[in-house]
Amino acid sequence: MTTAIASRYTAEYPTIAPTLPGQNLVWLTALRQEALSKFSALGFPSLREEEWRYTNVSAIEKKLFAPSVIGKVQETVSKELLSKYQLADAWSVVLIDGHFCAELSALEGLPETVTIMSMADALAQQPDNLERYINQAVNNDEHSFVAFNTAWFTDGLFVHVPTKLILEKPVQVLHLSTQNDALATTRTVIVAEDMADIKVIETFVGMDAAYLSATVTEVFVGCNADVTLYKMQCESDKAYHFGGIYVKQAKDARFTHHNFAFGGLLARSDIHTDLDTASECELNGLYLGINRQHIDNHTRINHLKPHGISRELYKGVLDDRARGVFQGRVIVAEDAQKTDSQMNNRNLLLSNDAEADTKPQLEIYADDVKCAHGVTVGQLDEKSIFYLQSRCIDEETARNMLTFAFANEMVDKIKIKSLHDQALEQVLIRFPQEGVNKEWL
Amino acid sequence: MSASAQEINNLINQEYKQGFVTELETDTFPIGLDEDVIHKLSKVKNEPEFMLEYRLKAFRHWQTMKSPEWAFVKFDPIDYQAISYYSAPKRKEDGPKSLDEIDPQVLEAYKKLGIPLDEQERLAGIAVDAVFDSVSVATTFKGKLKDAGVIFCPISEALREHPELIKEYLGSVVPHTDNYFAALNAAVFTDGSFVYIPKGVRCPMELSTYFRINAANTGQFERTLIIADEGSHVSYLEGCTAPMRDENQLHAAVVELVAMKDATIKYSTVQNWYPGDKNGLGGIYNFVTKRADCRGDNSKVSWTQVETGSAITWKYPSCVLTGDNAVGEFYSVALTNNYQQADTGTKMIHIGKNTRSTIVSKGISAGKAQNTYRGLVKVLKSAENARNYTQCDSLLVGDQCGAHTFPYIEVKQPSAQVEHEATTSKISEDQLFFCQQRGLSAEDAVSMIVNGFCKEVFKELPMEFAVEAQALLGLSLEGSVG
Repeated sequence: MTTAIASRYTAEYPTIAPTLPGQNLVWLTALRQEALSKFSALGFPSLREEEWRYTNVSAIEKKLFAPSVIGKVQETVSKELLSKYQLADAWSVVLIDGHFCAELSALEGLPETVTIMSMADALAQQPDNLERYINQAVNNDEHSFVAFNTAWFTDGLFVHVPTKLILEKPVQVLHLSTQNDALATTRTVIVAEDMADIKVIETFVGMDAAYLSATVTEVFVGCNADVTLYKMQCESDKAYHFGGIYVKQAKDARFTHHNFAFGGLLARSDIHTDLDTASECELNGLYLGINRQHIDNHTRINHLKPHGISRELYKGVLDDRARGVFQGRVIVAEDAQKTDSQMNNRNLLLSNDAEADTKPQLEIYADDVKCAHGVTVGQLDEKSIFYLQSRCIDEETARNMLTFAFANEMVDKIKIKSLHDQALEQVLIRFPQEGVNKEWL
Repeated sequence: MSASAQEINNLINQEYKQGFVTELETDTFPIGLDEDVIHKLSKVKNEPEFMLEYRLKAFRHWQTMKSPEWAFVKFDPIDYQAISYYSAPKRKEDGPKSLDEIDPQVLEAYKKLGIPLDEQERLAGIAVDAVFDSVSVATTFKGKLKDAGVIFCPISEALREHPELIKEYLGSVVPHTDNYFAALNAAVFTDGSFVYIPKGVRCPMELSTYFRINAANTGQFERTLIIADEGSHVSYLEGCTAPMRDENQLHAAVVELVAMKDATIKYSTVQNWYPGDKNGLGGIYNFVTKRADCRGDNSKVSWTQVETGSAITWKYPSCVLTGDNAVGEFYSVALTNNYQQADTGTKMIHIGKNTRSTIVSKGISAGKAQNTYRGLVKVLKSAENARNYTQCDSLLVGDQCGAHTFPYIEVKQPSAQVEHEATTSKISEDQLFFCQQRGLSAEDAVSMIVNGFCKEVFKELPMEFAVEAQALLGLSLEGSVG
């Protein structure tokens, strides 16, 4: 159905290919070729695919987004935007239109044993190391956006934390898109060796333009290691965003993800994690949709071994004509006895034209498990509003307070102060200002 | 648990009680399906011309369709040319006028199943339509129902005698284009029940249809249509069994319910088709489309189902809540054991204002079975103050079975309240220990816990059925514990 249009991208590929990093690597070229043929066969995902039934990406097909050339655009970067989002208390890496920008990145004082470098550099300096990781956390049967990224990625980041090292400050990866019709395809690999501890913040921002950002992040969490990943998605309101996060957790590994989906015209996040024996994962999410935004969150928690624990809470607030989608899947394999899994999705609809589609799925093949999921779609509790009114708070303020509190539960889970304040601000600018009295924040 | 292995084995190997075959002379079409078969079928059933056209239209549409693959079930492709589409006990030209004329073998078969067709017998409060392979062999209490104005007859009779009702309602809830199996059914359906409850009438007794597959290499394609006119009330039950055979047989039914203003329909099913043997050989493929249209304001439809049989169950009794204040309910217990597969659930489509729906689904999976709940709750923009509550719990017995939950929730109306909850667990050791410590055997304890787990659904069943369902559940589960 979509292959005809996908072929426009495929046709462009030979001109783009020579500019992509890792040209001399046989394994990478093979990988990219395989991905390219998969993408040209399948095209972009269509509504007929079960995992995409609520998200129509045909708008992406209609345009032809093209990767930008290194260095061409850096002078146009909005310093204001950067300073707003770049966190002071973190090591930060800036990727502009899909390319690493050394001048704007701040990595001083990073422990010597820790590697943080651009994907292009990493492919040049330690290709053997990367061969062990690239495409290893992604399952082969993933949809064609992943193949698209594999074939097209222009740069990205490689983060490696050695055994037992606890990184004091978080690492921020700032993805900045600056121009119309630009394609930002980056591949990030994060490796935390056994007993390491790292916090990474992926921030997606853009200048006022219609661009496509299609990123894939692969995370490898070693035995008893701890990885916390934050995703702040504040893309421009004309932008298309796809961000896939694919995680492999070793024995006793812990993985926590906080997904804040604020921006984008059409935004989709995939968070897929595979759990080993006694590993734990926690997935939190907040999506705020206004105007005509379409925000899709797709999670898959794959319990492969016994004693795993997973917790998931996604909350959505949808106003205007926005549409929010939540698709969560928990799979408990035959071996994974004693799994304890909980999934929750709560949606608040604020307008007559907003829509929430939710599909929480449990697939269970083991008998000695505790698995539960819950979903609600509704509006604010009338009794709570009445209670506030009886305390002399007018109805509008009461509604704003309750809506804010609903969303703020997720913001409060952020442990990094500067990031917390950023998220809070994002929540506040997306809600009616009147009545939100900041004194009680 | 230490209940002796021998004892458990005995219980596992317990025979499917309804698995006997009745030997009798039949009229059976040769296998195969084409337009000629449909012409012949329509002729045998002496149908009006418009039905033949309807069937052909459906058949042509069916030929353009592909067998759906989205369900969580696995089976080899069905060869539709290897099935006979009509099989009936031989009988005199006009069909039996009274019980005396029915083949005594058939009567005997129903007696063995515990469904007396003799009106004097025990189930005096229930009118029964008995469908044997492709035809309805008897309908009891017709006279008494007629006095109340209720029409209860085989659908093939309704086609001849009430064509105006058929024309208006048949296919109005499940059109022939709805899905693959509904299209096939529309083309080749042979019999089923037709119920019409006139305005303001409360049906004086429970109505029920008992479906029996007997002949080999046939498919059963039943069609049921129930129309409850304004302010009426009816409770309808359905039961089914089939002989034990090594090959799979197809049962593709369509059930349509229409509830007008203030009408109530309660539809209960105890499905006990032959589930196949313990190695997964044989059994019925139960691919059914059931849908209710709550057309009038304040109408109510309640589906209750106990699914213990069939090798594969694939059915989603649904409610389209069109009228304001309409109520849809779905109570289900689906039990799968050995190699059984069930993909079942419901769809609640909220269109009218203040519509409410309740879904309670209990899935029990044992042996190597796969049990899936798949449900859709859709609230359209027009459905102000719609309310849905869904609860689906799964119980796993044994470590090789699977239980899956796939709810789809789509809400376009902010005043709607939709809640979904699901849990999956196994029978808790603590509960078992407590029961055993009070002197119950492990088997009895499990049976008691499972019955408790299903109680919310069983209490919705009419009394006779509730007893049967409870016994059935015990039987299907026995031996799978340990």
